[in-house]
Amino acid sequence: MTGLVLDQVSKTFAGKKVVDKVSLKLDKPGVYGLLGTNGAGKTTTIRMLLGIINKDSGEITWNGQAVNRKDVNFGYLPEERGVYPKTKILDQLIYFAELKGMNKVDAEKSIRKWAKRLKVEEYLEMPAEKLSKGNQQKIQFMTAIIHDPDLVVLDEPFSGLDPVNTTILKDIIINLVKAGKYVIMSAHQMATIEEFCSDILILNKGKTVLQGNLKDIKAAYPANRVEIDVDEDINKYISPAKLTILNEKNHQYTLRISNEAEAENLLKQLVENHIKINRFEILKPTLNDIFIEKVGATSEANIATPNTLDEADAIQNDAADNQTVEETGAENE
Amino acid sequence: MNNFKDIWTVAKFTMKDMVSRKSFRISTIIILVLIVIGFNIPNFINSINGGDFSETILISDPENVFDDQLETLNTLDPNYKYEPTDDSFDEIKSKLESGDASSAITIDKTSDNVKITYITENTAMLNGFPTGLMDALSALYTNIQIQKLGLTEQQLASLVPNFEFELRQTEDQTIGGNIGVMLILSCILFFAIYFCAFQVSSSITTEKTSKIMETLVTSTSPRTIILGKTIGIGLVGLGQVLLFAITAIICAKLCLDQEILNALLDLSNFTPYLAIITIVYFILGYFAYALLYALTGSTVSKPEDIQSANTPVVILTMVGFYLSYFTLTNPTGDLNIFASLLPISSPFCMPLRVMMGLANGWDVALSIAILLIFCFIVAHIAIKVYSNAILNYGSRMTIKDIIRTYKQK
Repeated sequence: MTGLVLDQVSKTFAGKKVVDKVSLKLDKPGVYGLLGTNGAGKTTTIRMLLGIINKDSGEITWNGQAVNRKDVNFGYLPEERGVYPKTKILDQLIYFAELKGMNKVDAEKSIRKWAKRLKVEEYLEMPAEKLSKGNQQKIQFMTAIIHDPDLVVLDEPFSGLDPVNTTILKDIIINLVKAGKYVIMSAHQMATIEEFCSDILILNKGKTVLQGNLKDIKAAYPANRVEIDVDEDINKYISPAKLTILNEKNHQYTLRISNEAEAENLLKQLVENHIKINRFEILKPTLNDIFIEKVGATSEANIATPNTLDEADAIQNDAADNQTVEETGAENE
Repeated sequence: MNNFKDIWTVAKFTMKDMVSRKSFRISTIIILVLIVIGFNIPNFINSINGGDFSETILISDPENVFDDQLETLNTLDPNYKYEPTDDSFDEIKSKLESGDASSAITIDKTSDNVKITYITENTAMLNGFPTGLMDALSALYTNIQIQKLGLTEQQLASLVPNFEFELRQTEDQTIGGNIGVMLILSCILFFAIYFCAFQVSSSITTEKTSKIMETLVTSTSPRTIILGKTIGIGLVGLGQVLLFAITAIICAKLCLDQEILNALLDLSNFTPYLAIITIVYFILGYFAYALLYALTGSTVSKPEDIQSANTPVVILTMVGFYLSYFTLTNPTGDLNIFASLLPISSPFCMPLRVMMGLANGWDVALSIAILLIFCFIVAHIAIKVYSNAILNYGSRMTIKDIIRTYKQK
């Protein structure tokens, strides 16, 4: 059995089950997405699969062998970013590479290669405290990959990065997969997950609420929106059809639908009334929609039920902002 | 094997990190400068006072009680120059004020006594009455009187006392060594162990504060981190102590009068065996305390909490040190023997007992064995608590928390 397997893994902290029988399988190179709201158990799951904390029950195996912190050589970018503030970047990177079994010469070669790709070459001789937060994050990303690990775990790799650096990091992750690496990634930006992940797992209060191949999941969902671009006001056709307008701007409409027939009826109406239609698109739910549906309404963090997609996005963003504080707080009790 | 390599990697990194720190370099340089200055103080004072004759003392003997023999006083102490004078009190006063002389003595003969008046600018400035001078004058006077009597050699010999002194003790054990060397050794051991060990807790807490911990624990094991850190800081500390010691020895050889040095520090008891024992106790004592500090360092995550978390260990260090220090006044007592076996005090106590010749090989072996067992137990607890508490970013842990954390799987 190649790859990473988690089978019925559970963890309880102070009587509270933070991870409850979670299973996942990553048996070929690719990116596996881990999603969930604050305190859903993502970081605890990651820490267990890395062997930082012990699981209460279940099995975690890598290439058929039980995961043991001493034996595995995974790469890890923790959600809690950290560097030695007073130490020269090159020295701390060599230190971590040596601890992961590299010799100094190979380590320095690898560091210089990655520093070039991440555009941080000029900072290697500086103490970490002189670097911006984004650059510190890139340095820490390097500690996760300099020793060429087969499995890389990235906890929120893009949070805090500007678009230029996000693109650099994305390219590297895509290349890691091409080079046959296994990647586990947690992220709050649903678009990122959709871009990268073949499989996903959504956690809510430690329990798996949705899991599987992202394409299959989306295919199984019926269309829920229609986007229309016309040259005039079409409210008089929308109201009788009892469709909710999610967004309306310059005669561009986004409507909520419960089935495709509703959209087809509206299209028929518009055609019959000779409305000029620039665009009419029936859309499947985004990962964001699916996430909100599965987690949003029941999660403690999202007690408010979103009425519109915009509102849902706002709640989502709030949740992302609070992630660092609340999740670590809850899970380390 | 791999484990040792990793421990050495952590130790190397810790050493490099410590030595490259500005605060470390500055404090080391300051102490070195203080050592050099300290040893040069006697020379410094000499050069200010202008060499051979530092003080001139005027002596007025108008009635010639001392038979013109007062100049013989000048053979007593090269630091004082005695100058016979016929000056009046006012003339003496002006000489004292102008600094030509530091003090003056006038000698008057009353009916039965010789009255000696010591004149100084202000008696408050007088550092005790010069009894040495009184003794010298008294002896000189006696000599002059004896000479006047015209006694035979035999009569003279019977007048001069010819005592023999001998020391005997009721206890069987003889105590060797030099108290000055012992106290210095005890204090050096205490400060070296205390300051080095203290660094371990702040080093661990710094890693928690800078959130580097999660990266670190996925790179190596908690045991490797704790042992590597402890060894690294210990080696830097040992190096620092040796640097200070070598500087002090060089300064002492170069700057101090060898006779004074030998009188102050009789190093004849400092045998190679004692040197080895001292280093062994430094290393083990350091480990015992460093691991205790590692334990307290693991329980906090903010630098401002270190002080309060370390307090119990600081108290323990003090108790250990003072237990050995005060029982040294009665080194053959049971309490000192107890202190030489108790792991918190034995590093400060046993080297001194060895120096005094009070501890045989078996005593030392037993004491080291107890200390080693203590180190292993503390290391075990520290590593266990560290492994389970490293990701605790909350407030400072209580004793109850520590016990609960220790019991965790």
